[in-house]
Amino acid sequence: MTTSLLAYLLIPLFTAILIPFAARKRQKLADILATVTLLAGLINIGAILFNPANIANSFAGVPEDGFALLMIFVIYLVALCVTFFSAYFIGEDSKVNRVPYYSLIMTSVAAMCGIVIAGDFFTLYIFVEVLAVTSFAMITSDDSAKGLEGAIKYFLLTFPASLLILFGIAFLMLTAGTFSFENIKIIIASGMPVGPVVFAVSLILLGFLIKSGVVPFHTWTPDAYEGAYAPVSAYLAGIVTKISGVYAVIKISIMFRLFEIRAYHTADILMFLGMLSIAVGALAALRQKEFKRMLAFSSISQIGYIILAAGMGTPLAILGAIFHLVNHATFKTVLFLNSASLEKGAGTSDMRKLGGMEHSMPWTSWTSIVALLSTAGVPPLSGFWSKLIIIIALWDGGAKTYAVLALLFSVVTLAYFLIMQKNIFFGKPTEASRNAREVRPAMLAPVVVMCLLIVALGVFFPYIYAYLVETIAARIIL
Amino acid sequence: MTYHTLLFILVATAAMTAVMARNLLLSAIMLALVSVGASLILFDFQAPWAAVFELSVCAGLITVLFVSAVSLIRNEEGKVKDLRARFYAMPLVIAIVAVATWFYGIPFFDSLKNCALSGGRNNSLGSILWDIRRFDLLGQVSILAAGVFVINSIFPRRKKQK
Repeated sequence: MTTSLLAYLLIPLFTAILIPFAARKRQKLADILATVTLLAGLINIGAILFNPANIANSFAGVPEDGFALLMIFVIYLVALCVTFFSAYFIGEDSKVNRVPYYSLIMTSVAAMCGIVIAGDFFTLYIFVEVLAVTSFAMITSDDSAKGLEGAIKYFLLTFPASLLILFGIAFLMLTAGTFSFENIKIIIASGMPVGPVVFAVSLILLGFLIKSGVVPFHTWTPDAYEGAYAPVSAYLAGIVTKISGVYAVIKISIMFRLFEIRAYHTADILMFLGMLSIAVGALAALRQKEFKRMLAFSSISQIGYIILAAGMGTPLAILGAIFHLVNHATFKTVLFLNSASLEKGAGTSDMRKLGGMEHSMPWTSWTSIVALLSTAGVPPLSGFWSKLIIIIALWDGGAKTYAVLALLFSVVTLAYFLIMQKNIFFGKPTEASRNAREVRPAMLAPVVVMCLLIVALGVFFPYIYAYLVETIAARIIL
Repeated sequence: MTYHTLLFILVATAAMTAVMARNLLLSAIMLALVSVGASLILFDFQAPWAAVFELSVCAGLITVLFVSAVSLIRNEEGKVKDLRARFYAMPLVIAIVAVATWFYGIPFFDSLKNCALSGGRNNSLGSILWDIRRFDLLGQVSILAAGVFVINSIFPRRKKQK
């Protein structure tokens, strides 16, 4: 655990508890409290990450784990966009009660920070459970039937995952006598028979794979994302499932490198599941008629890239996985927030009912284009670089078939997104789109900021790469 | 030994109340008390890890889940016909078990005492909680907060609908 980062956990938790008392009379105060807390945190962490002095001396003055810092930045960024968007999205007649809604978001931010600064598997598990409990309630925020269905599926399918993780932790305690990341690394390095430790870690890995929604454990994702209250699906897809599942998978795969040849089969399986997710997610997304559902399958496919790279396990692959995780958070938040804007502006996100929306909602249309091009890996946007790193790492590591397939499915990604763009934004206006109106500027602001970030991450990639190498590859992986 | 005996009696009483109580909320709270007692016993038998886990998971997390579930079914509680007659045999069963424990249990626990001494690591509960698992306590505070917010978020809506 990193004590210096503890404030990023404690302050949102404090705000979460403060909100019900402070905003009892004036519910609008809940928006303000949540947004201000997140903005302050974001500025704070931004000052560390983008400080020219830190960049100049290769982050030598920042002793913290670079991976955790980057993740906290992304958590705060996505949460801020979602809370700011929600403040204007929740109408006066909405069923959503602002006070518990923002308290839940702040608690989940605290839980996610807890996950990324945890120093052992048990702490990680506790915070993952906090996150699961809050997500379950957030999915049902608007009390719709679909939301309840999604929440129940989410709960039922991720519960066995928690059980597996708990079993794994117990087994780890029995075999290794510890569950701290550092101690496990030492045990592996000391050359003791690692079979049982690999087994325990694999059990934990399986649990986290289910929580990430990797094929074949993906059945809960489309329902949960589609049914969830619109801004909540952006939050879930953008950051929550990434931190509650994918983050731990990357963390474990860094550990697997230390097992060297003895854990190679586990890494092989991880790569296979990653590839399967890419393929199944992309092919299923091609056939979807509902925007949010399509985005959910696209999420599964993009997570596949991260898992594939994590399975490869070379330092370059891990860097690619981490960067793709950051990028995925940015572009998926944009796309899901745009689907929420469509629901608000046109009353539906069903692609069959929409068409020609670029005339009535130009900003939403253009930000979608930026996000989809980045997802598909078109240069010079951020998604291009992360996919490039992953494919180069795969090729270098000898997984040439996977490298070629990953490249090919990138084209499929572009295909399904272009079909989506054509169906929703281009073409002839339909009945629903004629009556549609662009959402207010305040709701466009988070989306535009995210788009600028997508472009910036792509254009300033050399700096990002230097950060990844200096703080993550040099300190954690090697 | 008196300390142990008292704890055992407390756990047994709480367990019996949990089964026999008419009020589900009371049952849930009594169950939490059982876990607290059990974790204190585990701790005293020099199994601090097991004790901490019992305290975190059973007394903390599961109680939250039970309490929230109980608040969900609150309104239905009165409508279901109670079939509790068979539980009235409980005190009798407990009495028989208590007498049996008097004969067999006490020597058994006396023998365990030696095991406890040999396996001990001289960790006090306080040092385990505050030095090693301090961060987990924060996690548990978060989960309690999350539980409260979940109840706060879901249940008022139900009331409005009714």
